[in-house]
Amino acid sequence: MKRGLFLASTISAALSACSPIGTKLNDSRGFHDLLERAEQLNEGFIGTRGRVTLYKPNEISADFPVNSLDTPSDSLYAALMRDRFQSYRLIVDGMVDHPLALTLPQLQHLMNVIQITRHDCVEGWSAIAQWQGVRVSDVIAMAAPRAGARYAIFHSFDRDANGTPYYESLSLEQAAHPQTLLALRQNGKPIAPDRGAPVRLTVPTQLGYKSAKWVRRIEIAASLAHSGSGKGGYWEDQGYEWYAGI
Amino acid sequence: MRVTHWLFFVAFLVLVSSGLQIFNAAPYLDASDKTDPARRVLQISSPADGVGTTTIFGRTFRTTGWLGYTDDGMGGKSARAFPAWITIPSYQDLADGRRWHLFFAWIMIACGVVYVLWGVGRRDLRELVLRPRDLRNVLPMQLYYLRLRKDPPLHGKYNPLQKTAYTLVLFVFAPLLVLSGFALSPGLDSWAPWLPHILGGRQFARLWHFVAMLALIGFFVTHVVLVATTGVMNHLKSMVTGYYRLGAHDGTGL
Repeated sequence: MKRGLFLASTISAALSACSPIGTKLNDSRGFHDLLERAEQLNEGFIGTRGRVTLYKPNEISADFPVNSLDTPSDSLYAALMRDRFQSYRLIVDGMVDHPLALTLPQLQHLMNVIQITRHDCVEGWSAIAQWQGVRVSDVIAMAAPRAGARYAIFHSFDRDANGTPYYESLSLEQAAHPQTLLALRQNGKPIAPDRGAPVRLTVPTQLGYKSAKWVRRIEIAASLAHSGSGKGGYWEDQGYEWYAGI
Repeated sequence: MRVTHWLFFVAFLVLVSSGLQIFNAAPYLDASDKTDPARRVLQISSPADGVGTTTIFGRTFRTTGWLGYTDDGMGGKSARAFPAWITIPSYQDLADGRRWHLFFAWIMIACGVVYVLWGVGRRDLRELVLRPRDLRNVLPMQLYYLRLRKDPPLHGKYNPLQKTAYTLVLFVFAPLLVLSGFALSPGLDSWAPWLPHILGGRQFARLWHFVAMLALIGFFVTHVVLVATTGVMNHLKSMVTGYYRLGAHDGTGL
């Protein structure tokens, strides 16, 4: 029985040591880099394959959470809201042969997809909504990316409390997935200002933080190094994975 | 085999504590596909400052200090489902919790693959699996353990109860844990839409993932108690060196 006690206390010690040791290791740059290697395995094994499940209208969530980023407060966006986005232009530029500046009516004219998909947040919740919009791949193809282009970087109107601009990115392969949309309408209505008006991204093959709201510019680039802190997105710059398929 | 056992142990501890860190970001479990409070099975919350509650199947318990309102890892207490001493990192950090979880999930999978290949190769697994002819001995073995029967029924290296436990873990809870984890990935759901479907949806998969974790913790605790009560040093030595000294004990317990 003494041995039983000895083992029990050893095990409890191991359990309670787990969190502090883990927290210490978490602060070590080398160990953290090792942990980050798993992202390459996830991207390699899971990637962007197949098609996500499409839902029926009666399965749409009554209450789709808005989450941490609220309606952009910068003056440019406020001016756009005042003129009902008439002066909005979606810029597509960077490594392209035909830079674009698309108006909202032009985008509405291109609109060719309606899909009801599930949005999975990194926090753990899921919500179902109907999205109506244009395939990202169609817009990018119109701009004709040059050889060597690898990424589409989605710049947003939004900034956080420190003034850091919000942006996201996809590889051109991920952007070419037919369910990756620039959405103009949600559940049959124009997208609301707090949900990304007038144009937002929806990437149902990855976690919700990839689905940038308030998209103002799509920059086609060979590298992610020159945007933000270079990790490929606002949340990625704070430590989240760039590949968010898991 | 022995290396995978101890690596598995470390990976399991890390996966539990980083998993609870991830759970803390959305401290509820629904038996549904999308998030649906009407089908909520478990919710840990802090309805008021300084109060923590846990609601299971609609029944609410006050769990201040343990669940809901707990140690936040920053020297204070706050609205936080699982306390800092059990999560990696201790403080609230979903991004790093995910890094740990997704890294050690690969280690766990590697251990599982080695274990199964090795076990099949060496026929170790066959001795562990519960077969129909073992079923009639499950009850007598239980009676023996409850001191209601003098002698255990005849059995091989592992007795019928051990076989039941190992079979449930190997063929029910471990696969459930892995598959429900996979079903949480929107990328995997895209190429295997049947996966969340058979589990009742993505939020249901979170619930299964949690339940399978609890089942494996239950197995793990039983395993440790049995090792502790049937000759700790001999078992530990055997799991380090590979040799088991027979005599005082007959090998029951693992």
